[in-house]
Amino acid sequence: MNDLSVHFEGVSKIYPHFTLDDLSLELPTGTIMGLIGANGAGKSTTIRILMGLVHQDQGLVQVLGREMPREQAAAKLDIGFVSEDMRLYGPATLAWHMSFVQSIYPQWDQAYSEMLLRRFDLKPQQKIKGLSHGQRVKAALLLALARRPRLLVLDEPTTGLDPVARQEVLGELMAVLADEDRTILFSSHNTLDVEQISDQITFIDRGRIIASDNKEMFLERWRRLRLVLSPEGDLPSLPGVVEVGGSERLPVLVTNRFDPAMVSVCNDAGATVQAVDPMTLEEIFVANVHSRREKQTV
Amino acid sequence: MHSDLVISQTDGRPMYLQIMDQIRQRIAVGDWEQGKEIPSIRQLAVTLRVSVITVKRAYMELERDGIIVTQQGKGSIVAPDPELGSKLYDQELAKHIDRVAQLGELLGLTPKEVASRVREATDRLTTDRLTKDRLTKEYS
Amino acid sequence: MNYAMVKRLVLKDWYLQRWAILGSLAGIVATLGIIATGAKIAFLLGLILLIIVIISIGAHMAVATIVTERKEQTLPFVMSLPISYREYTASKIWGNLLIFLVPWVTMVVGSIGMLLWSPSSRGLVPYTAIMSAEILLSTCLILAVALITESQGWAVAAIMVGNIGVNGLGYAFAHIAGIEKGMWGPTIQWSGAASVVLLAEFITVGLLLGITFFVQGRKKDFL
Repeated sequence: MNDLSVHFEGVSKIYPHFTLDDLSLELPTGTIMGLIGANGAGKSTTIRILMGLVHQDQGLVQVLGREMPREQAAAKLDIGFVSEDMRLYGPATLAWHMSFVQSIYPQWDQAYSEMLLRRFDLKPQQKIKGLSHGQRVKAALLLALARRPRLLVLDEPTTGLDPVARQEVLGELMAVLADEDRTILFSSHNTLDVEQISDQITFIDRGRIIASDNKEMFLERWRRLRLVLSPEGDLPSLPGVVEVGGSERLPVLVTNRFDPAMVSVCNDAGATVQAVDPMTLEEIFVANVHSRREKQTV
Repeated sequence: MHSDLVISQTDGRPMYLQIMDQIRQRIAVGDWEQGKEIPSIRQLAVTLRVSVITVKRAYMELERDGIIVTQQGKGSIVAPDPELGSKLYDQELAKHIDRVAQLGELLGLTPKEVASRVREATDRLTTDRLTKDRLTKEYS
Repeated sequence: MNYAMVKRLVLKDWYLQRWAILGSLAGIVATLGIIATGAKIAFLLGLILLIIVIISIGAHMAVATIVTERKEQTLPFVMSLPISYREYTASKIWGNLLIFLVPWVTMVVGSIGMLLWSPSSRGLVPYTAIMSAEILLSTCLILAVALITESQGWAVAAIMVGNIGVNGLGYAFAHIAGIEKGMWGPTIQWSGAASVVLLAEFITVGLLLGITFFVQGRKKDFL
């Protein structure tokens, strides 16, 4: 029995130049969801609504069983939040921030916080304004991780980090999941990171969720087929084709409903299958967005 | 009981397959003995920094193949099966034979042609072995 | 309302502004030092210095604790704590007012005390009370504008309006018949006009703070 850490239903938010439209989302406890979207697609707005920092115009938002934004104070006791546009207090030290957060949250784990200091290579006596961007991100993450929240909400947690720091952060995020009662929602441009550690993946584009499924499903169902058409052959009609590229004799199809039986279907239709390529999450996302946008302009 | 599996992001194959292959290898080589406890799905996911769902898929397929056994609430162990080593090799053979059949089809060979190619390969192997034996005898 | 959180937020702001706060305390001490010299002009100088301290600490704190949360982008960090707009607004109002009240109460007690002490200038007491409340009102205006608009431009405008208002209204009040009459005399003369003005000032303070809470509660985009 898996209860939901996050539940969005029919959530809408209207801005003068942007609308979040009828968003529905379910995040089961104990899983990681990666949110992928272009800039301005609505990732940050969705996350802010989740935190109760922005009130939705319509729809139900439940986080850890609490209604947002009404019960945000209670919910935030169990949520760790780090966003890309968040800054700590420059003139104060990391140590001050740590003791400030510790005084608020009873679940603060001192030993764990010290381990994170070592792992992230941070010096507590340093003032925040003296830290590099990567160090600041790690500092903010430390403050969120050390109090062992039930839900971690991260807006671009690895953006701007060097490769070593990225691996450390990914490692710490996965370590959170060792406890099956804890959940992570993160948004990222970095599709490699999302592909590596996410259980669930949600694509968001222009204020709408365009796909949401578990990661293995995505990777199983999307394929790029390279065909060689015989002179008399026709392009076979396959299910789920979202993109047709290449040339007339050498078409390349992208399908989101791949089935191994398709290979023989193609061959029977006179289109020799040269290759069946799996696609990276990035390629899947771009193909998804393109096909949607094309449908909209048609 | 620590994990020494290594997952590569540049390896073209899906991660769950890499995990399965490496576990199979460990067992076939004898690193992981039969009946031995293996990391739980979550533990392995954390160690490898790979999503739980991927490890879960690998474990499920391995269990379906009879390589490991998952006990409800108690984690997973290597299947306590004396035939395990040969079973693994048998599975490997089946995989490769499927691949041969696929490639044959892609190349447009008839089943007979595919079979004769396989025959050529086994013949070659026998010839090589006989040659090696003779040379060994000659020089010993 | 989570008072424990409000207290922590107030202490946080005081810690971050500790140098400005200590500076204002030093200013008060300097003022008292000047007045203690006993010279007649010293009292006036001391009063002026005190008023400068009050107005500057009020303006500085409002901008430094409210406007900069948005400018320095620390607002998401604060709002990620287990609070709602209520605790946030309350902490800013309390944190600012308490610091402001230290020099302000010193000034009120000191000046009215001095007036009561010297027999010839007790008539100034009502006017002094009115002007002190005026300064409190101006600071509350700055607080309200800073919290509601979170904009440096508007906060600075409020500071200017506040200062001009204090001077302008100060002049106007001094010329209201009821107040003007007994101002320069040796006895305290509470006229109806003075009472009305004083009451209006305090009601306005209450309104400003109430409106601030109300507007903050209606904000749908806290970020």
